[in-house]
Amino acid sequence: MTEILIRTIEGSTINSWILTTTWLWPFLEIIHFIGLSLLLGSMLVIDIRLAGYIRNMSIMRTHDLLPMAAIGFFINMVTGLLFLMGDPARYLINIGFQIKMALILMAGLNALLFALRIKPIMTQWDPYGDTNTEAKLIAYISLILWFSVLLLGRLIPYVGTG
Amino acid sequence: MLEWLEYTSLSIWVAESIWGYPIMLSLHIIGLAVVVGIFTVYNFRLLGLFNSLEFEPFLDFFRLAWLGLLVNFVSGFTLFSSQATFYVTNIPFLVKIFSIIAGSLLAFKIQSRLQSNINAWDERTAQPTKKDHSFAVISLALWTSAIFGGRLIAYL
Repeated sequence: MTEILIRTIEGSTINSWILTTTWLWPFLEIIHFIGLSLLLGSMLVIDIRLAGYIRNMSIMRTHDLLPMAAIGFFINMVTGLLFLMGDPARYLINIGFQIKMALILMAGLNALLFALRIKPIMTQWDPYGDTNTEAKLIAYISLILWFSVLLLGRLIPYVGTG
Repeated sequence: MLEWLEYTSLSIWVAESIWGYPIMLSLHIIGLAVVVGIFTVYNFRLLGLFNSLEFEPFLDFFRLAWLGLLVNFVSGFTLFSSQATFYVTNIPFLVKIFSIIAGSLLAFKIQSRLQSNINAWDERTAQPTKKDHSFAVISLALWTSAIFGGRLIAYL
């Protein structure tokens, strides 16, 4: 199954375009780094406040940063997809890449949990007050997941395949 | 001296052990995300984006960013020491170091302008000036150029 997918991608036009365009790969990597800075920077502010720290920042207002996180995520989804199309054999069978994708999925579910459980009640909170236990848990899980995604991405060249 | 640096036990560990190099790279990417991430959020704020965010809390976030910079100075130095003679003549590396030094000095300047204007800005009796806007744009450019340089070390 994986092998068929890899062969299909490797025979595609986009695959050869990515591999033959000079300097495209490092350029995509640089964009991927900029995207991760946008995503992690905004999530750091949002999650630290959601965990109950830096209470002189209004908790509701930190969520104005969500578009920045979304843009960072989108940039990295596009550039990441291009890496995958360019070198599917390297990524699809790499355990670091597989765990990274699973963690991104979990971070998505965690964000969904936030949207369903915390966002509706957040407006009733003191904007400069503490948060509840569930919110703190979601914040810590989010930080751990995103920083693990970061680490796994960086370690893809160093961890085993298969 | 650079050759001596390459033969210290730390640099040999980073260069030759299986996990030395990846561990330092891991610390370095975490530091990058924290430093560039936080300074980027604040520079956007200075430029008028996320206008609702108060200025005062950024003093705490700046502390976190300086901590990230320290992590990257230490991890970066060990990575450097493992191949010191290669790095000192590598153009992207030199661009990166210049960008980081300039970016850090500018961040310090930006932070001190925040400290002296914090009340007026938060009470909205004054707003960041054209000068603050220019600093924010230059700061964003310097961190971007640091990322460019850093990534291109592997290619040039």
